[in-house]
Amino acid sequence: MILLSATFSLNRQSLVKALVLPCLIQAGGAEALEIGEGIQLHGFLSQAAAVTDHNNVGGKSSQGVALNLREVGGNVSWRADPDWLVSAQVLARWAGGADDGDVRLDYGFVDRTLSSGEGRFGVQLGKIKNPYGLYNTTRDVAHTRPGILMPQSIYWDRIRDFVLAAPGISIYGDTSRAAYGIGWRVNALTPAADSREAEFITFLQERPGHFNGKTSWLGQVMFEFDNDRWRLAVSAGELAMRYKPDGISDWQAGSTYFRPRALSLECNGEEWSFTAEYSETGVRRRSYGFTVPDNTAQAYYIQATWRIKPQWQAYARYDVLYADKTDKRGERFFLNTGLPKHLVFSEDITLGLRHDLDSSWAFAMEIHHVMGAAWLPRTDNPGVPTKDWNLLLLQAAYRF
Amino acid sequence: MLGWCATVRAIDVIAHPSVSISQLSLVQAKGLFSMRQTRWPDGQPARVFVLPDAHPIHKAFSKEILNLYPYQLRQTWDRQVYSGIGQAPVEVVSEEEMLKYVANTPGAIGYVRKVDPHDTTVRHIFVE
Repeated sequence: MILLSATFSLNRQSLVKALVLPCLIQAGGAEALEIGEGIQLHGFLSQAAAVTDHNNVGGKSSQGVALNLREVGGNVSWRADPDWLVSAQVLARWAGGADDGDVRLDYGFVDRTLSSGEGRFGVQLGKIKNPYGLYNTTRDVAHTRPGILMPQSIYWDRIRDFVLAAPGISIYGDTSRAAYGIGWRVNALTPAADSREAEFITFLQERPGHFNGKTSWLGQVMFEFDNDRWRLAVSAGELAMRYKPDGISDWQAGSTYFRPRALSLECNGEEWSFTAEYSETGVRRRSYGFTVPDNTAQAYYIQATWRIKPQWQAYARYDVLYADKTDKRGERFFLNTGLPKHLVFSEDITLGLRHDLDSSWAFAMEIHHVMGAAWLPRTDNPGVPTKDWNLLLLQAAYRF
Repeated sequence: MLGWCATVRAIDVIAHPSVSISQLSLVQAKGLFSMRQTRWPDGQPARVFVLPDAHPIHKAFSKEILNLYPYQLRQTWDRQVYSGIGQAPVEVVSEEEMLKYVANTPGAIGYVRKVDPHDTTVRHIFVE
């Protein structure tokens, strides 16, 4: 994938400097520019290619090379004062049939630090990224991801818009001591829920009508020990959406509630990093005119990353998702629905290699051997997906 | 002699002469360079300058002064910049540029290899 990023600061003195200085100083790394202080502008662009032997990712990857895996975005932030920050990011994302490149506001909020020093406390108001796991807030920026594809067990792309960011309010704080640091954040939000995948997840098929988000919350506590060598995060919340049927539907109005709980652990060494995340997400469906049993999805992955050289890293990941932890092999699902058992589980073994040409360019390649189709987007796979399949991904990313 | 050598650092943390602080705790230095803290302990707005990730002086600074690997700092900045909760430090390309910008930007903090202790264009900050 490709990432572009630039930083500009605008004031009269800076503009003069910009005109007279052939070489501008940089902000944020890579080729980013800073020509004053206060306003930074970053942008990014990314492209990946997918090939599969069965099933589709990012387009018709089983029939050729699928290229509908792209991200373009940009953000602006203005630190008007050390205690005030205004930030916004727009994003266009292409992901097979699930995302078609619509430009959207990824986040946009005002941040007010109410107290600073060794303990900080503040509040944010606007559309805010949700704290969940280690990577949710920056999952669309290739350089920040632990691979080309996010670990799909925890960071399920099928419900990404629902979990990613939402209008609301966030309060946060952090405290640092010599031996440890603690950061926390709680968001009250109304999640985006009007997606076809929400219908597949609730009804297993598309239905007339649409979903709207209801008042929800997500929170996270992050502990850092031993100079951030160890990072431990606990994330929890409840995300709710309401279904309104349109026209003729054999389902009535109802609500679906997700209760994600995640435990994340990261260990950072000079050459090696190890990451493990575990989550259980309770799914409750109420009303709809039918009784649908509650279920709890179970997900975990473990990843080892080896920085072979400063510009090269290799990684291996084992990633597991069970849509219902009491029916891991889909036996009951099959009896109840007649649908294939492998729609409710996925086990994914990934090997990857990443090369950072410089701080701007990153290239990556990874192969997946997957058993099951629980995280496979239905929008790209309208028929019955194959149980055992393989995926090759290539990615170029740029930022400045 | 060996003990004395072990405590000598190859990197100096420097600040604009207007900064009234001459000493930072490791926690305070990490707060500033990670861009989580936007003010000096005396309340003055801080302006952070860094060298590129791959620069030998940046690597030495990260490890010797902050006790962090350079990639950890980069991840911290990226998490803030791309979720909107913070900004990135200003990156300069060389030690000479670092000295120039820190000497001319009120509230600036940066780092260089050992400099002349009598240099009054920048303030030396002791990080403990």
